[in-house]
Amino acid sequence: MTAQPERPSACPAHDFTPYELKPLGGWTEFYDGLRAEGPVVRNVFGRGYFIPTRHEDILSVLQDPETFSSEAMVAYEPDPSYRWIPAMIGGDEHRQWRRQLGPYFSPREIERLDAQVRARASGLIRELAGRGSCDLMTDFALKFPTAVVLEVVGLPAEDLPYLLALEEDINHAIGDPEDVIRRKMTAIDAVRDYLAEKIARRRAHSADDMITKSLDIEIDGRPVTDTELLNYWQFLVQAGLDSVAGMLGYFFYHLATHPADRRRLVDQPETIPGAMEEMLRAFSFIVTGRKVTRDTEIAGCPVAAGSMVQLVLKMSGRDDSFYANADQVDLDRGTSNHLAFGAGPHRCLGSHLARRELRVALEEWHKTIPDYRLGEGRPIAEFGRSSGVNTLPLAWDK
Amino acid sequence: MKVSIDLDKCCGHARCHAVDSELFLLDDGGYALRPEIDIPPGAEGKARRAVTSCPEGAIRETAS
Repeated sequence: MTAQPERPSACPAHDFTPYELKPLGGWTEFYDGLRAEGPVVRNVFGRGYFIPTRHEDILSVLQDPETFSSEAMVAYEPDPSYRWIPAMIGGDEHRQWRRQLGPYFSPREIERLDAQVRARASGLIRELAGRGSCDLMTDFALKFPTAVVLEVVGLPAEDLPYLLALEEDINHAIGDPEDVIRRKMTAIDAVRDYLAEKIARRRAHSADDMITKSLDIEIDGRPVTDTELLNYWQFLVQAGLDSVAGMLGYFFYHLATHPADRRRLVDQPETIPGAMEEMLRAFSFIVTGRKVTRDTEIAGCPVAAGSMVQLVLKMSGRDDSFYANADQVDLDRGTSNHLAFGAGPHRCLGSHLARRELRVALEEWHKTIPDYRLGEGRPIAEFGRSSGVNTLPLAWDK
Repeated sequence: MKVSIDLDKCCGHARCHAVDSELFLLDDGGYALRPEIDIPPGAEGKARRAVTSCPEGAIRETAS
């Protein structure tokens, strides 16, 4: 199979590196520009990949895993050496995993974690309140979801700094692409070693936690293997560490710079869930990908088997042909049909936990620190992949 | 009014359940439980909101 279409495609070609940091808003503007060029554009970076720019095509790709496989999920890593579970598996194997994992991540199960999640958030926020300023990303947005995941999964809270350092290399390294990949791979290996030790410990001594429960998973009637468990836990921990943090960065940037929207969350906290859905739509920052299994086309653009497709979920949320005034945050929009958590059978397994964390963070923060503004600090920049902003200095009157 | 849910298309976003957790019941895994739902008088607005809130387009109004 080749990674390039055999005949020249009609879609416009670009050559840009997703590793670049741009000033906040720069990537959004860039992707909006791509949509204006046509329904599909191509980037020649890596071995090349296609980027559908409209909601309907992004949704169609996500809903057709037989044609658009998640066996490779990074558009410029078409032959990955890793196989995250359940993200990168398909067919019946995927269905078996999701059926067994679903109950641990269902809305009902997550509702039961509310008090734990809230205690983590309010503890961190109370520590910050008296300081009058913080970097939201390092002081709260990264710590909070990581602490929640450690607690829910059954990992020691004192491991937080170690995992945050690895997370930095996995998701936030910038610079020379080869160096970025090397740092990422080294950190991924370290997370793997860390989790392998924890799984071995639970096999020897069970506890009332999710690692212990996962030892009971069965695939095709046989017990789950250690390799499968590692491929599952590694993905879950890495996803849980970073995606909520990234979204919090965009949420709080918006609220720090739009006092009327912030005031509404403070005065009418019951509007927070709806406001959160609107911000998820507007700031869907996750970038994922699919590998094409057969010759096909997207919006008339021929796409050969073996090609990669990049799905920039923000382009769906900002598609004016699907959402009126898509570039505006409208807290009264009243829908939650956005693709911030993807769509199709691979819809984010942790979406209900993520929603709970985001909602609780907004509720607890605005109870304690209702008025705040952008503070002094490094320029705020964003990554061209699923990594959010690098920093978000906030300040408030003590 | 009735709505139908294509259970094969449901991917567990649970947006309908967020609109009304009594009308739109979920199974243990968090996916839609029932394919056909009778909407009681007065709940039509919520039902329509559930239809438009589904990211998969899995919910349809089938009778009014």
